[in-house]
Amino acid sequence: MTWETVIGLEIHAQLSTKSKLFSGGSTEFGAESNTHVDLIDMGLPGVLPVANKEAFYKAIRFGLATGAEINQVSSFDRKNYFYPDLPKGYQITQMTKPIIEKGSIKIFADDSEKVINITRAHLEEDAGKSIHDLFEGETGVDLNRAGTPLLEIVSEPEISNAKEAVAYFKAVRQLVTFLDICDGNMAQGSMRCDVNVSIKKSGDKELGTRAELKNINSFKFIEKAINYEIDRQIRVIESGDSVVQETRLYDSEKNETRSMRSKEEANDYRYFPCPDLLPVVISDKELQEIKESLPELPEEKEHRYISDIGLDESEAKIISSSKTMANMFEEASTKTNDVKLVAKWLVGDVSALLNKDNIDIEESNLSPENFGKLIERISDTTISGKIAKSVLEEVWESGSDVDEIVETKGLVQIQDESILVEIAKKVVESNPDQVTAYKGGKDKLFGFFVGQVMKETQGKANPKSVNKILKKILN
Amino acid sequence: MDKKTVTTISYLSRLKIDEEKEEKITNDLENIIKFVDQLNDIDTSDIEPLTNPLEKTAKTRDDIVTADNLKKELLEIAPSSNEDYFLVPRVVE
Repeated sequence: MTWETVIGLEIHAQLSTKSKLFSGGSTEFGAESNTHVDLIDMGLPGVLPVANKEAFYKAIRFGLATGAEINQVSSFDRKNYFYPDLPKGYQITQMTKPIIEKGSIKIFADDSEKVINITRAHLEEDAGKSIHDLFEGETGVDLNRAGTPLLEIVSEPEISNAKEAVAYFKAVRQLVTFLDICDGNMAQGSMRCDVNVSIKKSGDKELGTRAELKNINSFKFIEKAINYEIDRQIRVIESGDSVVQETRLYDSEKNETRSMRSKEEANDYRYFPCPDLLPVVISDKELQEIKESLPELPEEKEHRYISDIGLDESEAKIISSSKTMANMFEEASTKTNDVKLVAKWLVGDVSALLNKDNIDIEESNLSPENFGKLIERISDTTISGKIAKSVLEEVWESGSDVDEIVETKGLVQIQDESILVEIAKKVVESNPDQVTAYKGGKDKLFGFFVGQVMKETQGKANPKSVNKILKKILN
Repeated sequence: MDKKTVTTISYLSRLKIDEEKEEKITNDLENIIKFVDQLNDIDTSDIEPLTNPLEKTAKTRDDIVTADNLKKELLEIAPSSNEDYFLVPRVVE
């Protein structure tokens, strides 16, 4: 029996506003516990929530960038459940009239392009944080995060495997960071996702019963959790049982998903319109202003890099893949006339280091300014390409300033040709056998002489000058 | 409205219902629902649902932090807290 997998993602993106969705509490990450809590976040009697306009604007940016319908009138509902980190006993969300509906986003997985439709994206408030293991017999609650604006982005069940799910998540993350509406920081929980997974017999029209995997916050775990869950569902069905619709928690240490029955019992949220909040209206003028403020999006950048700057398709794709990478490219391009050189370094050495450490460019020690400096020093021949490689590695480790490294380590390229001529002469004199062989027709030995000169100068010679000088001496 | 539904919704709203009152409450709720149900007799198919009886739209606020740090005061009025957190009976994940 062959099975088909059907996956839908609910991505929670924390909108990068300064204040909360309904109060003037700060959304700053990492603050001392319970210091960013307003009376509204506490849900104290008599307070009234007032919606943060900026959260709407940011949501609309996402809607416009995904070609979605923008509901200029949207409203809020209450989703009722009891949990200690939800002070009001309900979460304010947009059930019936979300701000965004019917968008789509392009993904690349397994070398092919696919469009994933986005059902809706709605605004809602985040809950606080429960701390379970710190206190004997009690749970601590930190409400700093309570009320932080989230955009919940719900995809259609059109994703067919774990790789596509990861590609989709990456595409959404790329977009929200380009749009400057979310910092995309997964380690800090700025982006999290719930995954709905079900399987059905190949060719069946009807969807199977789905399980929901909660709160996964890394690309690696999305893939692993989905693959584990697919295997589990196949095992369940093939042994004659049926999949239960439930919420499951992914345990990354054991690499398994397990049932969270406790939550199921209360799975009746009794949504109703929030009587505290009137519908929020976005005017045509506001919508127009947001449209005009949209930045260049990844796909547009990619096209421009190819058609205007002349990069290869593969280079353009890698460079436009993240906002930081694109910033580095654009910043460094102002420091040189050789834009292809910039692309070569980003796609070559920088990407190789990223792969080696298995990190994203945002997590690296390399800043756009420092990378720009590196390119500038290569371009103005202060340092050779070979030295630049070791400088890049040093920056990668320490984050130090490029000029500082070049200066303190004495890496400046030897500009004085007469010094190079001296060294080249010495190399030729001390290798008579190779000289004879070279003159006898072993052309390949030329590289040997270049290598020796580079070694003598500790890489500080300009290979072009060395070539020229050696040719003169040897021929 | 039967006993089981009453048990479920009382659980969902964390309200304890005394056993001797259960029948009375079931009947009361039944009557309330019957009363409200009359609304279903009206054809509302081309009427936009009313989200708020005020029929006005919301005032919004600019994205500015206005809250003070009320940590000490807020932790103090909680039934149970320590110097950093609100404390509740242990919740097991």
